[in-house]
Parts: sequence; structure tokens; C-alpha cells
Amino acid sequence: MSLLELDHVSHFYGTVCALNDVTLRIEPGTVGLIGQNGAGKSTLLKIVLGLIRPTSGRSRALGLDIRTQGMELRGRIGFMPEAEALVPGLRGVDLVALAGELCGMPRKHALRRAHEVLSHLGLEEARYRRCEEYSVGMKQRLKLAAALVHDPELLLLDEPTAGLDPDGREAMLGLLQSLAGRHGKSLLLSTHLLGDVDRVCEQVMIVHRGVVRGAGRIGDLRAQYRGRYRLNWRGDGAPFLNQLRDNGVRVQADGHADSAFVETPPDWSVRRFFELSSRCDMTLREVAPQEEDLEELYHRVIGPT
Amino acid sequence: MAIEAAGYHEWAGMRRSPWWGTWAIVRTGLTMVLRRWVFWVLIGLGLLNFLFNFAFIYLKATIDVQNGMLGNFLDNYQVTGTGRAYADFMFAQASITALLLAFAGSILIGGDYRHGGVVYYLSRCIERRHYIVGKLLTIAAVVTIITTLPTLFLYLEFGFLTSSLDYFLEHPRILTGILGYGAILAVVQSLLLFAIAAWVPRTVPLVMTWLGVFVLFRALAEALRAINDNRLWLLLGIWEDMQRLGRWCFGSLDSSKTPNAEQCAAVLAVLCAVCLTLILCRVRAVEVVK
Repeated sequence: MSLLELDHVSHFYGTVCALNDVTLRIEPGTVGLIGQNGAGKSTLLKIVLGLIRPTSGRSRALGLDIRTQGMELRGRIGFMPEAEALVPGLRGVDLVALAGELCGMPRKHALRRAHEVLSHLGLEEARYRRCEEYSVGMKQRLKLAAALVHDPELLLLDEPTAGLDPDGREAMLGLLQSLAGRHGKSLLLSTHLLGDVDRVCEQVMIVHRGVVRGAGRIGDLRAQYRGRYRLNWRGDGAPFLNQLRDNGVRVQADGHADSAFVETPPDWSVRRFFELSSRCDMTLREVAPQEEDLEELYHRVIGPT
Repeated sequence: MAIEAAGYHEWAGMRRSPWWGTWAIVRTGLTMVLRRWVFWVLIGLGLLNFLFNFAFIYLKATIDVQNGMLGNFLDNYQVTGTGRAYADFMFAQASITALLLAFAGSILIGGDYRHGGVVYYLSRCIERRHYIVGKLLTIAAVVTIITTLPTLFLYLEFGFLTSSLDYFLEHPRILTGILGYGAILAVVQSLLLFAIAAWVPRTVPLVMTWLGVFVLFRALAEALRAINDNRLWLLLGIWEDMQRLGRWCFGSLDSSKTPNAEQCAAVLAVLCAVCLTLILCRVRAVEVVK
């Protein structure tokens, strides 16, 4: 069963296109949803939560039709919003128990589970405090507890580390990794912080101007692009670099006279570096493939803006 | 973050209907109101009024037994046991409730808009209608607890303290009046408060708007009636419309006077429809994810 299946999904706000003919299939696991402001991430989250109906196309999440089974779907999804989303005046434990009841849990079960989840998230000492008295980090954990109380299969997390200090962020990411790794929860993590996605997610969905530019396993997306190397040589490198440029290789200086970064065309073979270097009568000392980080992957996928 | 140490348990119980979620919203709302001591001042005021009436009915029953002539003398003033007396009692209680709701509105409804409570509610397994019904029932419950229930209690007390139970058979209109007036107060005030608090969520502006709707509209109605010499302008006074309709439920409204019960009912129905439209516009699920 796929986590999310979108089939030619488009959504318009009046004449503004928020999502444009999106077709994708995401497998269960940890998925990062990244994109600029206004790229369509929020619209995608609303569609997955079953809160808005796409203008056209078919969509399914966790095997359920989002258009007709929105409420049932929300019973299997936990949503941690970026906004404060708390009910002032309620104690932490009451807030989490109410979330459980709103998800269809009987009162006793919801209350028992609220105590359990709050203890799991390290809020056992603060559970009887009113939620407006919580610190930013505690509020984030409280929202996560409210999202987890009914034991959902999928957690939608909208900027879960927003406003956290480095220790709080580290703890939150550790917790998310634990939920995904040890307890089999699928996560859909919408964030601007690519480091969070790199740390927690196996898959990524890159949205740009209403179009999903790339979706799949981060490793697979990186594998699509293996043509970046750092070259190191001995001797005069200028003729060699000119030869590379003539053969369609992009050369980028790294600040040293005897080395440079290069990006090769798709059909390039590493052996050609050595052929060109021997033709230019210089010694190539090192050809080191460069790993693409998520930021580079993101910029490569969305292209020049 | 000791999730591994504490262990994360799965939950595999049966899920209940989303209407149970509505009940949870009502219960939580009532708890939030009853937890604040400031509301207990107003509730105490209502309780004092109730206890005064309760004691008076008991006293009158005692006087009836011990001194029939004095009892008959008191009956001439119809201070209790009549439709008019219950309507007056409910009116006094309703005034206290309106004051309480002015301050409770920002907690019950306004907070949801200021602190993202709508996001909290609508991202669960309930639809918009469950949330709206839950909030309306919460306000209606506050109104009913302070106005209708004490009046019903006084009605039962009076009936049971008479020599026979004929009182209940002879005055069925009183029961209709209590329930009818109570329903009018609950429905109109809950819709009106929800609509105002959803658009004006902060406490001070909400209190000013809420009381302004009742006080200013009444002053405006009086002024327009005086200028145009047309009593239909009195319909603008929403509080008085509810009162007139309540008296009609008790059968004590002078039908020859304008505005009559039908006109008041029409104005209140339009007001309720407008409030409901405003509420539906404000409670939109698409605003859940900002």
C-alpha cells in the first residue's frame, strides 16, 4: 500500500494555480516535503489531510480515497501544525486527551493514553500545567503528543523544529527518528530546514511553483547525478581545463592552482580525464567523485530561479 | 526524550462516532468556564437569586398551611407561582448569563481564533459541523444551566409544595413558557455569541460588541420609534424581542400591542440566519494549514 498516490492532481485558488497536474507515488517511510514559500506545500498537506478537495485529479493516502474518506483518513493521520494550535486554559494532559477523544477514542482510553504519550515525550512533570505556560520547546512536544495520542500510521509535521534551540532541535529530530525507525510510523515532514530532512528522511518531495520537480528516495535522486568530481593534478593545468571545456565539462575553480571541481555530461567516462591529461602532457593525481548534499540536490532539481 | 526507555504502545481500540467528539467539546468548554473564579461571581449572583425565590416559595407554602388568610393575601400579588413571576425570574437570570457570556466568549470561541484552536479541532476526525454544534451546545448549556434549569426547579418546587398536584395540570402553559423562553435564550445567544466572538475574538472588543448589540440597539430602537412614531422600530431591540417572545410562550404578552410575537420571531430568525452564515464563513477547514 502506498503512502500517497496523486494522479494528475491540480488545485486552483480562483485563478491562481497552487498545484499543477501532479502525479506521484510515495512509499511508506520518512518523506521530506521541501520547497519555497508559496510552492504548494501547504496545499499538498491540506489535500493529504482531506481538508480541501483538489480541483481535478484523483488522490489516495494510506489506501483511502481522500475525496470521499477525509474524516476516516484523519483518524489514521496525526497532524502537528506549525501554528500554535492550542486551547488556552486547558492543562497539557486534558489537551492531549481531548485530541484523542476528537479522534474517536473513548474518554478513559484517551486519558490513559495522554498520560502515556506525555511521559514518553518527557512532559510527565509538566502535564498538569496549563498549555499557555509551556515553553516553545514544550509546546512543540505537546503538539506532537496531541498528534500521536490516537496512534496514527502517518504523521504530518509542519516545521516541527521551528523556534527550537539547538538542543531542543536535536531532541525533536532524535524523537522523530525513533518514531519512524523503532515504531514504524511514516512521516511527512514539511520544512525549510534541509538539514532536518537530510537527518530524518529517506525520501524527499521537492515542490516548486505548484509542480513536484522531484520525488523519491534521496539516494536515488542523488544517483541520477554522479558527474561531479574534484580533480587534482601536477603541472600546468590550463590546457587540460581548456580541453575539458571543449568536451562539454563545466569547470569550477576551487581556489587552488592545481585542483578544480568539474561537472561532466551524462555520457562521460572517468577514463576520458586520463586520456585528456596524457594528451596535455600533465599528470592527473586525483579524481574524487563528489557527494551531492541535499541543498545542491534541491537547487539542481528546481533549476535556475 | 525517553521514548525508547518508556516504550511506545500501540492503541487498537474501537473508534467512536464523531458526535462523541462534539460531546467532548461541550464538556471541555463547560470545564473551562467553571474553572475560573471570576465566572463564579456571576454564577453566585444567579444562585443567590435562585435561593431567594426558592426560600420565598417555601415560606409561602408554610404561610399557606399556618395562616390561610395571609396566604390568600400574598396570592393577590402573584409574586410567585405564576407565568409572569417565572418570566421575570428567567429575565433576571438571563441578564446575568448575558454578562457571563460577554466574558466567557473570548475563552470559549475567541481563543480558538487567537491561539489556533480551530486548527487543533479541525485537524482531528471531526467535520466542521461537529465543531460548530459542539461550540453552540457549550454556550447553550451555560445559558440553560443558569436560566432554564433553576426555573424548572422552582416550578417543580411550587407544584410539589401545594396541597395537591393539580397545579401542574392547571398551568401547563407555564412549563411550555419555561422551556420555550429557555430555548429562545439558548439558541439566539449561542448563535450571536459564536458569530461575534469568531470575528471579534479579543476579550475587551468582544465585551463591548456583545453588550453594544443589546444596549445600543435598544437605545437606537427607542430613538427611531420616538422620531418616526412607529413602534415597529422597537424590533431592533434584540434583547426585548427575546423577552417579548418569552412572554408570549408564557401566554402573558399583550397581543394587541406592536410589535407582536410573530414579528419578534421573524426578526430573531433573520438574526440567527445571519449569525449562522457568519459562523460558516469563519469556520473554514482550509485555514487549518496556514
